[in-house]
Amino acid sequence: MLDDKILFGYTGLFNSPNEIIRAAEKVSDAGYKKYDVNTPYPLHGMNSAMKLPPSKLGYAALIFGLSGMLAALAIMYWVAVIDYPLIIGGKPFFAFPAFVPVIFEVTVLSASIATVLTMISIFFKFPNISHPLHDTDYMKAVSSDKYGICIQADDAIFNETEVKNLLEKLNAHEIKPIYYDDNEIKHKNTVFEPRFLILLLFVALITAGATYFAMNKLLYAVPFNWMETQEKLNVQESSVFFSDGFGMRNPVDGTVSRGNLPYQFNGNPEAASTYLKNPLFPDDKNISIGKAKYDTYCSPCHGYFGEGNSRMRGQFPNPPTLHSEKVRNWKDGSIYHVIVDGQNIMSSYASQLTYQERWAVVLYIRVLQRSLNAMESDLE
Amino acid sequence: MSTIDFTRELPVIEGRPSLREIDDIIAKPLESKPDIKYYIALSITLTMLLIGAVALGFSFYYGTGLWGNNNPVGWGFPIVNFVFWVGIGHAGTLISAILFLLRQRWRNGIARFAEGMTIFAVITAGIFPLIHVGRPWLPLYLIPHPNQHSIWVNFTSPLLWDVFAVSTYFTVSFIFWYVGLIPDLATLRDRTKNRIKKIIYSVTSLGWRHSNRHWQHYEMVYLILAGFATPLVLSVHTIVSFDFAVSIMPGWHTTIFPPYFVAGAVFSGFAMVQNVLIFIRKIFNYEHIITIDTLERMNKIILLTGSLVGYAYAMEFFIAWYSGVQAEQFAFLNRAFGPYAWAYWIMVTCNVVFPQLFWLRRIRRYIPVMFVIAVFVNVGMWFERFVITVTSLSRDYLPASWAYYSPTLTDGAILLGSFGLFFTCLLLFTKTLPVVSIAEVKAVVEGSQPSHGDH
Amino acid sequence: MNTENHKVDYVKKEIPSKIKKIGFVLTVIGLLFIILAYISNPVRSGFNNIILLMFLSSIGVGSLFLVALEYLAGSVWSTPFRRISEFMSATLIILPIVALPAYFYLHDLFHWTHVESLDELLQAKAGYLNIEFFSIRTIAFFAIWIVFFLFLIRNSFKQDKTFEQNLTKRNIKISAVFMPFFIFTVTFFSIDWIMSLEPHWFSTIFGVYYFSGTVLAALAILTLIVVPLNEKGYLVKGLVKDHYYSLGALMFAFTNFWAYIAFSQYLLIWYANLPEETFWFLQRWEGGWIYLSIGLILVRFLIPYIGLLSQPSKMNPKRLIKMSAWILFAHFFDLFWLIMPTYGKGEFVFGWIELGFPVFAAGVLIIIFTYFAGRFNLVPSGDPKLKRAIDFRL
Repeated sequence: MLDDKILFGYTGLFNSPNEIIRAAEKVSDAGYKKYDVNTPYPLHGMNSAMKLPPSKLGYAALIFGLSGMLAALAIMYWVAVIDYPLIIGGKPFFAFPAFVPVIFEVTVLSASIATVLTMISIFFKFPNISHPLHDTDYMKAVSSDKYGICIQADDAIFNETEVKNLLEKLNAHEIKPIYYDDNEIKHKNTVFEPRFLILLLFVALITAGATYFAMNKLLYAVPFNWMETQEKLNVQESSVFFSDGFGMRNPVDGTVSRGNLPYQFNGNPEAASTYLKNPLFPDDKNISIGKAKYDTYCSPCHGYFGEGNSRMRGQFPNPPTLHSEKVRNWKDGSIYHVIVDGQNIMSSYASQLTYQERWAVVLYIRVLQRSLNAMESDLE
Repeated sequence: MSTIDFTRELPVIEGRPSLREIDDIIAKPLESKPDIKYYIALSITLTMLLIGAVALGFSFYYGTGLWGNNNPVGWGFPIVNFVFWVGIGHAGTLISAILFLLRQRWRNGIARFAEGMTIFAVITAGIFPLIHVGRPWLPLYLIPHPNQHSIWVNFTSPLLWDVFAVSTYFTVSFIFWYVGLIPDLATLRDRTKNRIKKIIYSVTSLGWRHSNRHWQHYEMVYLILAGFATPLVLSVHTIVSFDFAVSIMPGWHTTIFPPYFVAGAVFSGFAMVQNVLIFIRKIFNYEHIITIDTLERMNKIILLTGSLVGYAYAMEFFIAWYSGVQAEQFAFLNRAFGPYAWAYWIMVTCNVVFPQLFWLRRIRRYIPVMFVIAVFVNVGMWFERFVITVTSLSRDYLPASWAYYSPTLTDGAILLGSFGLFFTCLLLFTKTLPVVSIAEVKAVVEGSQPSHGDH
Repeated sequence: MNTENHKVDYVKKEIPSKIKKIGFVLTVIGLLFIILAYISNPVRSGFNNIILLMFLSSIGVGSLFLVALEYLAGSVWSTPFRRISEFMSATLIILPIVALPAYFYLHDLFHWTHVESLDELLQAKAGYLNIEFFSIRTIAFFAIWIVFFLFLIRNSFKQDKTFEQNLTKRNIKISAVFMPFFIFTVTFFSIDWIMSLEPHWFSTIFGVYYFSGTVLAALAILTLIVVPLNEKGYLVKGLVKDHYYSLGALMFAFTNFWAYIAFSQYLLIWYANLPEETFWFLQRWEGGWIYLSIGLILVRFLIPYIGLLSQPSKMNPKRLIKMSAWILFAHFFDLFWLIMPTYGKGEFVFGWIELGFPVFAAGVLIIIFTYFAGRFNLVPSGDPKLKRAIDFRL
């Protein structure tokens, strides 16, 4: 029975913490390297008795903590300054004091998770949980109330009789060999084994799939309609509610939209000429607006320079030139009146041009007139 | 007990039990079938949970109009309950991390249980912001991730900091709790004779062998986690206080809020832990592990934090007057003498006056009175959050919009349900995992550590 | 209760007289500079005098707080060091003398002493900020501190000879009574002497801010004295790195606590952006003060934080001495940052006038220490907890 099993090591049990500390010191002094002490709780002074170098896990915490900190800062900078800059509460895009809480939380989160993962994957050899000591009487004793020491057979100076003698000299109880079956025990750290990696991949796929299903399918199932179907009428829809069958309503007669007073001088060019004054200043900006609007709406009939050379090829009567003495002597208000009210067969352009744009067009017409009838004083 | 001998240390665990006795007594609830009392308790908490669930169901179906929240008081019960439960969660990490760093060995008997309470309290707290937004099925958008709308969260908003703080706090508390459980799960693995339990314990204990080469790293990780959890626990309630204090609402915008909220959270958390421990030690016969000395020390911390909260109340009032800002002065006078004066004075008596009884050693060690005081503390701390949230909002800068807030039956049912959830989780915890840390208790039994000078 | 087994062998060693001489020389030099400073620019010297007062108060009342805290918390590791904190809390006795010169220039230092008729805010505060009440308060604070100092210290000194356990019990009770007094006196002392320099500004956390600096200063001076004394064998045998660790850890913890409080105050005021609060920080963000403000983060937080972060550095005697001296400097730096911008009004001020005050502080602290060290034991040799304290291991 024991022939196909391999010797793992010799174990001995002690009853008091002082004894085990002494034993650990003696075993360490005897030159053994591959031995271990198993105690139900951590004993003060055991690390120095076993001459263990201090744990370096602090560096893992430091490195991952700093990485988390910098990552949080970088992501927030990119989001708040580059990709999605919004002014909120009058604060600068890079509002560092307001980033501090999140930086702190991410630092703590990444450092804590990474330190624990480092411990269980490197030192506990997670996901490998098999070990020759498991399920032995020795393990049952040290997990409750005994203090045990185990000298491993793969130590360079291991010798069965010498180890037995040493343990006996230390007054250990129940000195026993531990055997194991090589097929049942893995020694390696299995964190990079294909089977484990495939398991991780599988978990990742399930998680991703579940998230996709939840976010894209489940959330669009019946109770969550995202207000896509609403009990209301959209524009251009018909309705039986109103007698005319339209879903949309016209405004009540006499409705005035905000910011637009109705034109007061319809059919009254004299009053327009007397009372209307151009509110715009003839600067580059206003004149260029006027030019743009004139070229768009007026030039098809009046021509680009106001000479009445229509591009309509006779489909519409040519208007008279704007450079006539009569038009040149008109007040601004009269031109404005014609734009708003129309004249002869010219129709109203009030719906095409806003209040500002109409006056800008008037300015531009004045510029055109002046350009063909420049005065000597213009040269000065 | 009239004289204390200062030359000798008070034993943390009374009666020098053997290590195996500790195993037996702590593992007993897990190895025995629950009795009828357990089922009665569970049915009560489940009924409370059901009431809350029904109220939530109605709220989802009909909308948040079922709650008392009105136009100036938009925060109402959900936020009051959120702050209250997050506060309850603070004692666990304080006991397990800060007292660990301060080498307070009496914490070992109560740390596991308090950590469990932290986790359940944070779970309970997490429900409230989600239901308060009105669309609890969209929490993913709280977490910054690339999405089809190409929008990002606002990193300068304290409400977003809350998301980070509470989720980090939950994760780290959970890791801390689990790391603490590993050696105990290994001990249970070696004790149990049930095959299924054995598989579960084997997998969850990660192959732990009580090896000193592992203990060394384990202790380092525990220290590092405690070192991180300590500022973390401060940051969580600090950030909750930022929700209020970065605004310019009178009564909310005051610089003492961060430490004041943290002290209040520890205060209410300790009161809740003390309340529950009184039952646990009685029911499971843990009187010599969770000793009367431990309870007395907890009461001292309740006294300390209660007095700090009282200090903060006093400073708020003084600085409100000293600042000369009329809105601020009005806010505080309104708290004390306005329509919510009843809530304010409940808060002051419960939080500041009653805990002062703990100056007396006899009361600190007399279980019925300390239990009642701690219940009052929790009532008082709930009302503190109510007073802060509701009084300031109900009478803001614009008198035309003032309105009185009164909660509805649905609000009350959801609050009841939150208690149901918390206590249901606790009851299940007591029967599934060791509520006292086996390894940590063994480490503080008298004679369990080697004497100095031998090495 | 056999006290005999718990007695500790302690042989007192005298402090070299050289140190006493250094103390005297520093005090005299400092005093000369201070007198010259008062002659050349009394108002500026008055502001410096407030810094000196707040610094020495921190050490005095902070040390007394540490003593009381040890009794209340029942902590064991700190018992061999308690006597040094008791010595340093004697600084409280000279505080009235230090406050006196500044008191003569109250009108130039404190804007609220002469309220203009148009300043309605200050008129509203006159019930609190008036010279009579201010003087009464200051005297009351000093009196309360000195009374508690005398009671606590007397019992502790008496115990060296009598070994009575009852004295420890009595001191626990006195400490419990002291704590609420301590919290409120320190808060209002800092409000009166620092916050009211800018009487329009207000911050509820201010008392906590000064408290964090006070505890840091008291811990730093304790460490600065205890570590060299123990290294040279003036204290009892058996104090090891485990005892140092707690000192280092506490300094580290309170450095973080200070940063937490300072950041909370800054963030809330910066975020809400109310003009009645932000002007105080703006004042410290103009002229040369901006470098001091940024430097404060470095000096008071980052350097001690990095210096004390790792576990070995909290036990390393050399590192502890360096860091505790640095923290004392940082406390002075912090007080300078709190107080001087009010004098500077947007302009950075630093010159020879500022130098005499820290020199004087150092000299006075050395004299106080050597005076008491010459008369009393350097460890509380009669304390029942002392044997346990020596056996303390992490």
